[in-house]
Amino acid sequence: MRWFVSLLLITLLGLVQGLSSTGSRLLVVIEESSEKAQYSTFWDDLEGKSNNCRGYKLTFESPKNDKLSLFQHGERAFDHILLLPPKSKGTSFYTITGDVDLPSSGLGPALTPKLLLQFINQNGNILLTLSSDSPTPTSISSLLLELDIHLPPDRDSLVVDHFNYDTASASEKHDVLLLPQGSRIRSDVRNYFGGDGTIAFPRAVAQELGNSSPLLAPILRAKSTAYSYNPKDEAEVVEDPFAVGEQISLVSSMQARNSARFTVFGSAEALENKWFDRKVKSVDGRDSKTANREFAKQITAWTFMEVGVLKVGRVEHHLSSITGDAPGNDSVAQLGYLNPTIYRVKNDVTFNIEISEYSYDQLTPLKVDASDALQLEFTMLSPYHRLDLVSISQTPNSTVFSRTFKLPDQHGIFSFRVNHKRPFLTNVDVKREVTVRHFAHDEWPRSWEISAGWVWIAGVWITIAGWVAFVGIWLWSEPAYEQSKGKKMQ
Amino acid sequence: MPPKRASQISPNASVPPIPKAPSSATSSSSSKSSSAPTQTAQTAQTVLFDLWQRYLNTTPQRVKLIDVFMAFLVVVGGLQFVYCVLVGNYPFNAFLAGFGATVGQFVLTASLRIQTNPENKREFGSVSHERAFADFVLGSLILHFFCVNFIN
Amino acid sequence: MAVEVLEPFLKGDTGRNTRGLLRLIILCTIAAAAVASRLFSVILDPWFNFRATKYLVQNGFYSFWDWFDDREASHPVAQLVYEPRKPAEEPKRTRTWHPLGRVTGGTLYPGLMVTSGIIYHVLRFLSMPVDIRNICVLLAPGFSGLTAFASYLITSEMTTSPSAGLLAAIFMGITPGYISRSVAGSYDNEAIAIFLLVFTFFLWIKSVKNGSAMWGALTALFYGYMVSAWGGYVFITNLLPLHTFVLICMGRYSPRLYVSYSTWFALGTLASMQVPFVGFLPIRSSDHMSALGVFGLLQLVAFVEFIRQQVPNKQFQTLLRGLIFVVFVVSMGVLVLLTVSGVIAPWSGRFYSLWDTGYAKIHIPIIASVSEHQPTAWPAFFFDLNLMIWLFPAGVYMCFQQLKDEHVFVVIYAVLASYFAGVMVRLMLTLTPVVCIAAALAISSILDTYLVAENPIPKETQANGQATSDSIKSAADVIKDSLRSTRNPVLGIYSYVSKASVVGAVTTYLLLFVLHCTWVTSNAYSSPSVVLASKLPDGSQHIIDDYREAYYWLRQNTPDKAKIMSWWDYGYQIGGMADRPTLVDNNTWNNTHIATVGKAMSSREEVSYPILRQHDVDYVLVVFGGLLGYSGDDINKFLWMVRISEGIWPDEINERNYFTARGEYRVDDEATPTMRNSLMYKMSYYNYNALFPAGQAQDRVRGSKLPAEGPQLSTLEEAFTSENWIIRIYKVKDLDNVGRDHGSAVAFDKGNKKKKTAKRRGARVLRVE
Repeated sequence: MRWFVSLLLITLLGLVQGLSSTGSRLLVVIEESSEKAQYSTFWDDLEGKSNNCRGYKLTFESPKNDKLSLFQHGERAFDHILLLPPKSKGTSFYTITGDVDLPSSGLGPALTPKLLLQFINQNGNILLTLSSDSPTPTSISSLLLELDIHLPPDRDSLVVDHFNYDTASASEKHDVLLLPQGSRIRSDVRNYFGGDGTIAFPRAVAQELGNSSPLLAPILRAKSTAYSYNPKDEAEVVEDPFAVGEQISLVSSMQARNSARFTVFGSAEALENKWFDRKVKSVDGRDSKTANREFAKQITAWTFMEVGVLKVGRVEHHLSSITGDAPGNDSVAQLGYLNPTIYRVKNDVTFNIEISEYSYDQLTPLKVDASDALQLEFTMLSPYHRLDLVSISQTPNSTVFSRTFKLPDQHGIFSFRVNHKRPFLTNVDVKREVTVRHFAHDEWPRSWEISAGWVWIAGVWITIAGWVAFVGIWLWSEPAYEQSKGKKMQ
Repeated sequence: MPPKRASQISPNASVPPIPKAPSSATSSSSSKSSSAPTQTAQTAQTVLFDLWQRYLNTTPQRVKLIDVFMAFLVVVGGLQFVYCVLVGNYPFNAFLAGFGATVGQFVLTASLRIQTNPENKREFGSVSHERAFADFVLGSLILHFFCVNFIN
Repeated sequence: MAVEVLEPFLKGDTGRNTRGLLRLIILCTIAAAAVASRLFSVILDPWFNFRATKYLVQNGFYSFWDWFDDREASHPVAQLVYEPRKPAEEPKRTRTWHPLGRVTGGTLYPGLMVTSGIIYHVLRFLSMPVDIRNICVLLAPGFSGLTAFASYLITSEMTTSPSAGLLAAIFMGITPGYISRSVAGSYDNEAIAIFLLVFTFFLWIKSVKNGSAMWGALTALFYGYMVSAWGGYVFITNLLPLHTFVLICMGRYSPRLYVSYSTWFALGTLASMQVPFVGFLPIRSSDHMSALGVFGLLQLVAFVEFIRQQVPNKQFQTLLRGLIFVVFVVSMGVLVLLTVSGVIAPWSGRFYSLWDTGYAKIHIPIIASVSEHQPTAWPAFFFDLNLMIWLFPAGVYMCFQQLKDEHVFVVIYAVLASYFAGVMVRLMLTLTPVVCIAAALAISSILDTYLVAENPIPKETQANGQATSDSIKSAADVIKDSLRSTRNPVLGIYSYVSKASVVGAVTTYLLLFVLHCTWVTSNAYSSPSVVLASKLPDGSQHIIDDYREAYYWLRQNTPDKAKIMSWWDYGYQIGGMADRPTLVDNNTWNNTHIATVGKAMSSREEVSYPILRQHDVDYVLVVFGGLLGYSGDDINKFLWMVRISEGIWPDEINERNYFTARGEYRVDDEATPTMRNSLMYKMSYYNYNALFPAGQAQDRVRGSKLPAEGPQLSTLEEAFTSENWIIRIYKVKDLDNVGRDHGSAVAFDKGNKKKKTAKRRGARVLRVE
């Protein structure tokens, strides 16, 4: 009965849920519904009408809409947000009278930086697209400032690259960048954005990532010959550009501590239908088709939690001396020895953790790079042990990592902690508190087990034996004593 | 524990069976006390012999028995102490129990000796010999209990 | 119980029996009075002891012994390891001394818990099912009855006048100095320790008097019990050797002394080492060395005596004496050497603070910070001891007059205890018994002198219904030769007037004493510490119940595992009433951990926050009395926190920084930046301004006006403030979700937009990846 119910539940879940591991309600904020058509392929891909079943339920709203609200009854009303840039140039389309001191242009009362931040804090994901054609709303730029992502101060700035541009469409302005797909930011970081195609990036807005926040990671960087400048600037020579070379991040990501994802996409135009399937010509004359559609899918998949999501399954720890093949063939769990709340110092303890990675539509076993390791800390105030966990077995859906070690000779309240934080992977922070106690009085070796103590034991017992003998003789010699006493008296 | 040690060994020496300390003491005294020439002439041996004779004559048998037991305790305690100095006191609680048992037993026995010695009769008006012995047994039992418990 | 009726019975055999019976009845009455006077109000205070007792009763002695206190009351250690656990019994897990835990069995004196455990089991055995809580509440009063009995015994050893013993018993029964520690519900070590102290002294005197090994062994047994019950056993450990030493120095060595001291030392030392907390201390720490030294000295002296008996030679003896002196000096030298080289632990800190009152303040602030360890104020003596304080010297003087072995003991005890009581408030407790004894000696000699003549006794004394007067009357006849001054009572005291006036005056004093004791008991010592009472202007009583309000808030509104940080004074209360784990509590066994809390309280937020995170602190609790004028608050204790943490981190915390340039401790506009940035200051005064019109905020304890702008908190947020603002609880914020520092996160929430970094200063910092 029970398995039937769970099966039913799983089936239902499968029906309800799309690919995303967190939910499928996607809010698209677009100012003019007329513009919707420009992105129709993108929408179809998200809804999954054409080839695969991504199954997002798109809700299109204009920021002007008064009734728009990200939250309902204190909970998120949407799982993800896709923000498209407002089209109308320079016009302030909404004036805010609320508490936030936003100046002229914003995104309406439903999309203030505070609310967007709250959305992130409640595990919502945001994909933000920018465009150099339209000014970035102050609401957005102040939010980005909070996240330590910097935009060029001039609203019309765009990125140009005189060596990697599309000669077909931007032979003069050099503002359609051609970039290869699939560069890693670091060798030890998982690459979810790989591929062989070329991405066309028309009129992109440069972003610069601050150095202090560990949560930021660039997804797509410009080539070293690119720079950002303001085309309205009449000067012949660009002096002190906002950002140059690989410091320019065209697509950047921020994964919050609660694993909510926030992606800034530098060019909204690149998502339009016309760039999804277009011939471009590079400077050295090679023709190719853009891989924008593929890239857009990768970006949305990552942002909306379709990939790079780690799930922690069972977390177990037990005394190593108690193994599954103990007499009776009971498993550790059945014996009731699993996850005790208390250990003794110097116990040998085994810790197991089961982790799976969600990848598009299924849970897969997590594979840790050879250069990386999943680590276990045994910590009280500071780690007493920091050990690499070893993968001991795999199920179709997960990997079991394990480690056996000797507890430190220190009593206290310790915790097993697996704190695995890597760019593009959701955070794993598992903490299990256990008490480590001291030796009980009967766990010390008895003194007769210590050979050095035999002398003293002998001493005690000889004394006692001597005493018994003495008492015996004393009692026995009583008459003699009387005599001697008598003699003395005489 | 130097005071204990000193006290431990010196009464031992005092008891005639091992007459080393008194001999040294007497010899030093005889050599130093130049005021009485007759004493200097006297050899340490004769003094000791006198002592021994005196002891044999005046001491009741039971007191002698006590003295033998005390000597035995001193030997056991001394051995333990020597072993501790030479080898070390590794299970410290065991050492304490062993050594403490000997010292405690010695002291208790000394108390018994004092109480039963007829010379101290007037001091212990309220303590009869039987009572003293019962006290002694009680104290010893408590001592043994603690020691065995301590050594576990 | 008129004396005239008794008069015929007071002579001869029947008289003795009657007197004995009467004495017994009086003693029982006294004990009952002692118990009854402690029942004015009942509140179970030291939660930890109670919890420990419950654990002991539930899990048995052995698992109590091995108890590792992570506050898992239902889980004995052995069971967890060797037996499978049913998942259904998931224990409630709250812990103390997070995250260090506490090896409870090895860090407490188990005597108290074991005593109540035994009583509990005995009563159960007698098929009287009593809740362990009731035993804990009534243990202290019960033992105070026993203490009264013990002081009767010890005083009776001092003098032949039985009235003295009875007087001592009643004094001991109702003196405020003792009541303060033994009211019903005051379930603390002192509850049984004072009885053990007095009774051990009684046994000791008995054994010195008789020279009996049995009394010596009993002394040792009770000494062992005392060791297991209270850290103050060191007082006995040093007093008995001192007594012996003084007797030897007075040339009063006797075989009796040898027997009693040797028996006590040999058995008592072994007995004390059975207590896990004490362990090897008796031969390692200097506190116990005097006992060992005197033991050695006594052996030497006994040996010399023995030799003297054997060898009747004058010069030989003198030489031997010299020898003994040399041996003694040498052994003292070795002792000093061992102490210096570290084999023997030096004197413990509390001991130093006994000799130099300033010592603790400088070197061990944790000891000095306890109010019980402060030097005693003079009024406290009178408050706690009342008329006995001026009878005390008289009694000691009378001991000097007789000066037998036991009187020497009382004199030494009196001298030492008076000094110690002057140094530490807490040690008033050890002074109380000797004061009672001496005062009883003095009063009884006065009464014996004035109440007895050939003529009948004046009528005045009959009017008194108090137990005191009973004891006076029953004691009226025995004078014989107890005191030199009473040998010739006929000298001059023929006049009824003088007799009547003196007896009347003494009786009045005694009655006043009883009144005083009753008043003190019902008012000063019976108010529970968690509830404050104040008088409103119209005279009605107003109960301030902020503590309980806050503790119940914690209990209801925080997760079970939430760790609470507060100053250690409130540790037991939070653990007991709020049932939440704390970082430190009243058992101050780990100075470093307390200093860590002190550092977190006295540092800037940026420094404190990592400490709070590291210790998994969820809530911080402070006590603030500024609104109500409650002076026992954390700002007033703050300097101790600073001092204690300065002891561990002298580079980071400096007491001087908390004082103004003129050396004042201020909280107003002139407070130093260090003070105003400290977490404690911020938590105390956060939002306090909002209660007052602008610029009018006033701290009623410090009597100062606060700065116009209140402190800002960024890493903590206010969670709860009690009705009268006495308790304020703050929640520790998590790290910012999007990686900002807390300051800017708070600024953002307040609507301050970050300025765009339009103009960069200095070189550009590139991101390297």
